[in-house]
Amino acid sequence: MLDISETRNLQMRDAFIFKLYEKVKHDKDIIIISNDYGAVSLDKFRNDFPNQYINAGVSEQNIISMAAGMAIAGKKVFVYSIASFIVTRCFEQIKIDICSQQLPVKIIAVGAGYAYSEDGPTHHACEDIAIMRTLDGMQIYSPSNAVMTSNLVDISLDTSMPMYIRMDKGIFSNFKEDINYDLGLDVDSLGNDLCIISTGTIHNVAIDLSRILFENGIKSTVVDIFRLKPLNTKLLSKILEDHTHVVTIEEHTLNGGLGSIVGDHILDNALNCALKRFGIIEGGIYVYGVREEVRKKQGLNALDMSISIVDWLK
Amino acid sequence: MNQSSNTSLENLISKSSEIRKDVVEISIAHGGHAAASLSCVEIMVTLYYSEVMNISPNNMNDDSRDRYIHSKGHAENVLYSVLSDRGFFPREWINKYYRKGDCRLGGHPDKDIPGVEVTTGSIGHGLGIAVGMALSAKMDCKKHFHFVLMGDAECTEGSVWEAALSASHHKLSNIIAIIDNNAIGASDFLANYSSLDKLEDKWKSFGWNAVSCDGHNINDLESIFKSMIKSKSSKPNIVIANTIKGKGVSFLENNPMGHVMGINTESEISRARKDLEGIT
Repeated sequence: MLDISETRNLQMRDAFIFKLYEKVKHDKDIIIISNDYGAVSLDKFRNDFPNQYINAGVSEQNIISMAAGMAIAGKKVFVYSIASFIVTRCFEQIKIDICSQQLPVKIIAVGAGYAYSEDGPTHHACEDIAIMRTLDGMQIYSPSNAVMTSNLVDISLDTSMPMYIRMDKGIFSNFKEDINYDLGLDVDSLGNDLCIISTGTIHNVAIDLSRILFENGIKSTVVDIFRLKPLNTKLLSKILEDHTHVVTIEEHTLNGGLGSIVGDHILDNALNCALKRFGIIEGGIYVYGVREEVRKKQGLNALDMSISIVDWLK
Repeated sequence: MNQSSNTSLENLISKSSEIRKDVVEISIAHGGHAAASLSCVEIMVTLYYSEVMNISPNNMNDDSRDRYIHSKGHAENVLYSVLSDRGFFPREWINKYYRKGDCRLGGHPDKDIPGVEVTTGSIGHGLGIAVGMALSAKMDCKKHFHFVLMGDAECTEGSVWEAALSASHHKLSNIIAIIDNNAIGASDFLANYSSLDKLEDKWKSFGWNAVSCDGHNINDLESIFKSMIKSKSSKPNIVIANTIKGKGVSFLENNPMGHVMGINTESEISRARKDLEGIT
């Protein structure tokens, strides 16, 4: 079993699958279905547990239906894929076969936002949160680092609901040890001038932003919402009630993502907060480019956001 | 109707006649897709009243039972008629709940209905689900079979062929699929919009044991199903059951618009009842 110092420097998918590997040793019902998509950790998994790994090829509709059938038969199924393919190509199968039948299939998807930035729009997953949150019963996790991702294995095995886990690609080694996963979000506060809410690995940018703002005399609370659905509405309200200004940061379209989730929450609960959303605007999805450049074009970097926020708070 | 199965050919033919009349009466009273149900009456009777499938109201919690997936979920009238007649749920549910009130019996079957294993209604899902169930059963050395009823127009969904490849790759001989091959989709003859002819050859080329027959001939259907169950082949099985959409009701039979037609007007109701009584 890997310790935290090893796990933190893994790709998120490897952190998750290596942890799952430990569970499979004692559970013959755990199954991974892949759409011909690999990983270092998966090589070990399929080598040691060939009967519990299925490469179903690039047939996403069949993969989801098959996963549903296996779950009906009592298997604990994890579908592993690039996010853009497994969310949109087989959405109806996810809705009908998995969600409407309330089957505990877990979709572990790699490539959040612009993670495959140079590969272009076919590989971006910039709408997945908006799409998946429409599904009745679907839980959505969006971890911000590899250690957090590995800790989602136990959570995913413990729930009887469908789950979508949105993973990034790359090494994201910053992590906190004292996270209470039951809360669905994590909070760090330097002060109440501003609340910065993010999800996924762009949380690291949110931390940088908080530092820059601090240097400009603005003390902020940084919230990492790693469970987007079900949202911890009670705790989120408690945090927002202490702030007059809130910003959301996401590598996802502004149409229906984190900013919309927080905005809905503010409206639904009549909270007295001004909201500013940073994310991907119209025209920003069908693009190519190195990730940092693509992000910068959307204003998704700490310096540009800090300038905008300082001006906003004047 | 008799709620127990009686397996002689004469009784099965008689049961088909009963179920066909019942489908028509359900359609008159409540609506639904009459034509799509009428084409698969003999298939359903062979599955549920002969000794082909090991499924009964008494063994639905028995893991060794066979599984049935009604992938052409729009043929709900015949499914509800058969399930209620076999005693999976009370007959009065059809009058009380079919497309009424809480729609316990909805316009397409839901997994919470006694006797229904899988929610269906959007076509092209059932075979893939069966692949998952059958592969799990094979992994766990279980011996039961998985029967899946699909429509021929359903086979224009790409997901069907993804599942077909998957089933043959995994050698899922514990699948027996049936295509209700009535040659008509929702708005036209299939031949007018898809090259889905030579179905038997297509399935064989995908690695399946495919057999064609008259889908209204119970003797042939029963014989083919039993032979597939006994087969030692590792291939998944499919029966191309050639049928007539709207079978038994003259104005629905082979009518390209039959899928969306009901039995609504006085003249339609009278004609349908007379057709089933053999009155010209």
